[in-house]
Amino acid sequence: MGLTGPRLTALALALLALLAAVVAAGLALGSAGLDLELIVTLRAPRVGAAVGVGALLALAGLAMQVLLRNPLADPYVLGTSGGAAVGGLLALMLGGALWLGAGLGALAIGALLLALSHGALAAVDDASPRLVLTGAMLAALSGAVATLLLTITPDQRLRGAVFWLMGDLSGAEGGGVCGLAALAGVAAMVWRDTAIDRLQLGSEVAALLGEPVRRLRLALLLGASLAAGLAVASAGAIGFVGLVVPQALRLLGVQRIRDLAWMSAVGGAALLTLADLVARTVVAPLELPVGAVMALVGAPLFIVVLLRGGR
Amino acid sequence: MLPLLRTQGLSLRAAGRWLVKGLDWEVRAGERWCVIGRNAAGKSTLLRALAGLPVPERQGQVFWLGRPQADWPGADAALLRAYAPQQAVDRFPVSVQRLLALSTVRPSAQRAADVLAALDAAALAERGVLQLSGGERQRVALAQCALQGAPLMLMDEPVSFQDPAHQAQVARWLAQLVTHSAAPSVAHPVAFASPAALVLTAHDVNWIARTATHVLALSTDPSQAREGSWQAGPCTDMLNTALLEQVYGCPWRSVGGFWVAD
Repeated sequence: MGLTGPRLTALALALLALLAAVVAAGLALGSAGLDLELIVTLRAPRVGAAVGVGALLALAGLAMQVLLRNPLADPYVLGTSGGAAVGGLLALMLGGALWLGAGLGALAIGALLLALSHGALAAVDDASPRLVLTGAMLAALSGAVATLLLTITPDQRLRGAVFWLMGDLSGAEGGGVCGLAALAGVAAMVWRDTAIDRLQLGSEVAALLGEPVRRLRLALLLGASLAAGLAVASAGAIGFVGLVVPQALRLLGVQRIRDLAWMSAVGGAALLTLADLVARTVVAPLELPVGAVMALVGAPLFIVVLLRGGR
Repeated sequence: MLPLLRTQGLSLRAAGRWLVKGLDWEVRAGERWCVIGRNAAGKSTLLRALAGLPVPERQGQVFWLGRPQADWPGADAALLRAYAPQQAVDRFPVSVQRLLALSTVRPSAQRAADVLAALDAAALAERGVLQLSGGERQRVALAQCALQGAPLMLMDEPVSFQDPAHQAQVARWLAQLVTHSAAPSVAHPVAFASPAALVLTAHDVNWIARTATHVLALSTDPSQAREGSWQAGPCTDMLNTALLEQVYGCPWRSVGGFWVAD
């Protein structure tokens, strides 16, 4: 097993071609055809946001999976996205800036998680059930708070709030910021390639080989929280990307973190752009929530890869 | 010459009892030690403590090359001691080749291939770790441990999953490993101009007799006075019916040069 040499290059090129094709389609297709002004003012920012958010979500998922040594982990598991959602809802209700509320919410959960699970990060032990359980509880808590907030949201804002919670890229901003953050994330993972690869073998294995396990895990937690917070702030709560993209790449035989990192970013960007394209075109002029479409596109894709990789 | 490993008053405690108390012990280059004792006697906990891994409760000191364990920076410690756990836990698909490259401070494809061949695992290089059988994964873990290039190697139950042929092969390989890995594998301020030493745990006394040069026996005698007691010495002094009966709490006999428990 293990994809190396020309086959790895082929996969990389295929991913890049897919992203280019999906972006071109995202810019060209829509209810109003090819109108340059429309493309520049409306579709370009939206496609940009899909690319940036998708890349960030996939990277956040990859970081969480390494941190928890669980290939099925996802930023939502640790409650960071939930915290961002609560913060964003509060901002919507109080008429504040959405991105500020979501950012603060993600940071608050991240800080809380750090404070509560300090011991789990410090210990050089592996499974870190304390970190996962703390995160799961925080996720449940923020889910409950979000539901409570929805029940007292004024009617004229309820629809917007619900759509945002389900994930919504219409009028999304922050594609540039998310894209830059994703680039920084990829660079960091490429830089610490060997250390993170050893961490995947187990915290104890990494520690025995002299890696600064505690610092690495702290960086992964902060990076993943920040990435999830940024993504939620710009596009609401979109699940699945962080889980499906790195997992699919692993099943295809990509092993090294430096390859997984940049390919996850490209794959996440392509997947979310595709999902958004479907969401706004299949029943136009009606728009579907991209979070639901994401699952509809992603789940079958995942199953195909799973069957292929399981051979 | 400084012993590779020395313990001074090392005491380990777990589940409300002393596993070992006041262990004063030295492991020198060229020696192959086997820690013996009944289930839950504390063999694995001792190996973890010697490797510098967290254990429930410990007192006393462990020195690597005369320097307290805690004073070794992580990167230097990686050049001095390697540890193979009882069972590796893999979560992500990764090839054996890549695993071995990651387990080495200075990866060398040739050395990795040589060690795999010596362990009858050459055919596994391209396989994924998640697809290996228990015995195959165990031999790969032994290769990982040896390839780290550290002179002090700690192996927890290296042959628990091996068939008789592979048990014999691993025994020969270990003997050859510790007498021949004399050259320091990496340039480093600490000169490892000494051959390696090995500390392992095992249960098969006949395998131990052909593999180890020395034995450290941990007692599980429940009487207060003897809790955590230990004995150490060369195999010739240690492997006798009296000591085996004391360690394992069952009668032993020697049949045609082989040890049999009754």
